[in-house]
Amino acid sequence: MKKWLSLLLILTFMLAIAACSGNNNGNNNAGTTGGNASNTPKETEAAAEENFKDGKYTTPITLSTVWGLNQSSVFKVGETIEDNVHTRLIKERLGIDIKYDWVITNTNDAYKTKLRLMLSSGEKMPDIVVFRGDLETVNMLIDSGQFMPVGDLVDKYANETYKAGLDLDPTIWLPISRGGEKMALPVLDYAYNGDHVMWIRQDWLDKLQLKAPTTIAEMETVMDAFTNQDPDGDGKKNTIGLATGFKNGFANWMTDIGFLFGAYGTIPGQWNLAADGTLEHGSINHAAKKALTKLNEWLNKGYISQDSALFDEVKGSELFTKGEAGIVFGPNWLPAWPFPDLKNNVPGATYKAYPVPAGPDGTIGSQGGNPPSNGYIFVNKDSKNPEAILHYYNWFFDNIANPQPGSEFEKGFAEGYDYATLPDGSITADAAKYPDLFPGLKDQTAPPLYYTLTYEGARIPTLYADTHIKLAGGAEPTTPYEKQEFNTRLKENTDAMKVVMDQVEIRKKNYYMGPLTETMQSKNELLNKLLNETYSKIVYGQQPVDTFDEMVENWKKSGGEQITKEVNDWYNSVK
Amino acid sequence: MDSALNKPLPQAEEQPQKREAKPREKLSRTWPLHLMLLPAAIVTFIFAYVPMSGLIMAFQDFKPYDGISGSKFVGLEHFRFMFEYPDSKQVIWNTLIISGLKIVFGLIVPFTFAILLNEVRKMLFKRVVQTLVYLPHFISWVILGAILTDMLGNKGIVNQTLSALGMSNVFWLGDGDWFRFTVVVSDIWQNFGFNTIVFLAALSGVNPSLYEAAEVDGATRWKQTLHITIPSMIPIGVVVGTLSLGNILNGGFDQIFNLYNSLVYDKGDIIDTFVYRTAILNGQYSFGTAVGFFKSIIGLIMIVFSYRVAYKFAGYRIF
Repeated sequence: MKKWLSLLLILTFMLAIAACSGNNNGNNNAGTTGGNASNTPKETEAAAEENFKDGKYTTPITLSTVWGLNQSSVFKVGETIEDNVHTRLIKERLGIDIKYDWVITNTNDAYKTKLRLMLSSGEKMPDIVVFRGDLETVNMLIDSGQFMPVGDLVDKYANETYKAGLDLDPTIWLPISRGGEKMALPVLDYAYNGDHVMWIRQDWLDKLQLKAPTTIAEMETVMDAFTNQDPDGDGKKNTIGLATGFKNGFANWMTDIGFLFGAYGTIPGQWNLAADGTLEHGSINHAAKKALTKLNEWLNKGYISQDSALFDEVKGSELFTKGEAGIVFGPNWLPAWPFPDLKNNVPGATYKAYPVPAGPDGTIGSQGGNPPSNGYIFVNKDSKNPEAILHYYNWFFDNIANPQPGSEFEKGFAEGYDYATLPDGSITADAAKYPDLFPGLKDQTAPPLYYTLTYEGARIPTLYADTHIKLAGGAEPTTPYEKQEFNTRLKENTDAMKVVMDQVEIRKKNYYMGPLTETMQSKNELLNKLLNETYSKIVYGQQPVDTFDEMVENWKKSGGEQITKEVNDWYNSVK
Repeated sequence: MDSALNKPLPQAEEQPQKREAKPREKLSRTWPLHLMLLPAAIVTFIFAYVPMSGLIMAFQDFKPYDGISGSKFVGLEHFRFMFEYPDSKQVIWNTLIISGLKIVFGLIVPFTFAILLNEVRKMLFKRVVQTLVYLPHFISWVILGAILTDMLGNKGIVNQTLSALGMSNVFWLGDGDWFRFTVVVSDIWQNFGFNTIVFLAALSGVNPSLYEAAEVDGATRWKQTLHITIPSMIPIGVVVGTLSLGNILNGGFDQIFNLYNSLVYDKGDIIDTFVYRTAILNGQYSFGTAVGFFKSIIGLIMIVFSYRVAYKFAGYRIF
């Protein structure tokens, strides 16, 4: 009896193991190899042009691609990435039949891995490959030689909106340039969104009867008052001037301290364009030494937290949202997050965005202004209709990116997917509340824009900033996009975007946009550790400021010089 | 008493005779047990032995898209790089100090605590304490790291207490020596409950008749602890110690990673955090594998060594 029981137990175990190992193979959509690209010779461009009339291919064409399915893509029952409202509409409107050679669920970079496998096995690529991710893979795709330069395509087929987005910052082409040729189409994203402003507790300024600082010296006066004159009025000395955290480096996406280096003329942790036109690493610029001296002074005077070196951006921002610090540097959207916490912790607290302050000689510098691209589209050089993807992208720019009132896509992409109309005529996106209006969906909407070959349909880089400048000027929101921004963003957010745009010229972008160089791969760790350790120890007074010069020498000796050379070689090859 | 002590002995002598005499018959009786072992053996084989083939990467210039079969062999290049790297000595030294302290105190604290807890008469109290000290074991360091950063901060509860007592603030996580102290203490706080349970289990296995005999002989509670409890816990202590010695080069990645910062690189950076920055962040997978390989070899040597030592001095065999 017992024996049989144990036997049964064993069998169950075995089955469980078998089931587990079997699962892995189930999901693979066993991609057909190759792709369907041209067996016939390339058609002449004239023929292709003839075929495309009034925004549509008269004889439908096929556009093959491969796809990594992200979690943001939600599908209705019965729909897949291969067949859904988006593919049907594109076929109907543009005469483009999108064909997926393979589709993979993009967890743990599965899409990237599969792309790389395709490359290494020399498989033929589909008509287009879209990729968003590391530059190593981008490089591999370009180096595979299977894709064509796109410069002529853009000149000939891209519409004005896309061209304007690309022209906003010519360095957008740098990562994908090869010997003067542009090797991929950038997927555009909203610009200026990461650029910083100085956020100040307005109620503290008013209480202490101070005016907002415009220079570092004035800022010190304000910070001193915030630290020593009890701005929160609780009778305790429990406030500080500036919320910052440099655990992850000295130029951060929030709670930034890079502005102080910028005030002396460098931005640490990135490659800046030096006066002689070469690229130099911002951390070893001598200006950084002055900034570190200043920072050490601020720490000693209690203007910044004694724990700043232990805090990352999020932790650092808590100093501000707890009501402990009076100033923080960060992007325009901080009122959406994390500032609501401040309102919860300190009822009645108010804050306002101000321009980044200037250094002793009037220099202002803040990281940001990086080109507004997020991903690339590669076009197969053997593709029969290489221009098709531009017609596709154009269509989204024209119809979806910023629909005008009364236009077809004013409310959204498709009724019952990303929006639904209520009986009273208003629009809702609440699929959990109105399940009847979203048939085939459960609790959440299925925005078809996430199915698009360009990731989010089309984004006009300047649209976000332009909209907020318009709204900040007091104009009424008219287009659906403006209404949405007006209704979802706080006034402080809108005003901050204007501050960003008023200071557009102070942004210092990272000029190195290539993949990790050979020396970077072996030496980056050593060099970053050297920089961060010396920086922190100087700020904390654990090492004298003059060890900065020693650090610079060490940095150069330990591979920094070689990396500088590699970076400049890259820059010369693409500029 | 006498009969109770004598009884097991004849049995123990009988059994080996049986086994030697009829091995085939023995197998026919025990095969379900062997079969039950099979799933575990298969899982171990698949997840512990098969991945070992990946160690080949340590001798290659591994490129993910070329795969193991396509990557170029570079011999011992990565091992050379590891030992020539300027920070290696410091990082290995940090690891040895931090994990050495963790191992020593990670043995002493639960050992003592188990003995103390064993003396508690109230079962309810004992159970509650046992559960409470075990709980932190389940909290991830991502969370503990944030909590500790708060508690040990300049305005945290610990420093506030210190200044209330008239002492000066301590920069727990920003000063190298205090950082080591914090790491070791917080690690022991997190994990001593787990080993306490192991030791308590060993204590419950001590033959009560030994205590009865000692009491008859007039031994005090202290003498009983000294001459019965501690000696009977030595073997399990040796096991725990031996197993942890294999981890001598693991300083506890998730803990250090969540607590360290650039101020304490010189005293707190360990092999694993160093490998994370070099191998993972900069894509040097081969180098990471080489370091992992090196660590495993040292771990194996340490286990063999401590096993021998344990056998020699405590007369205890694990395997």
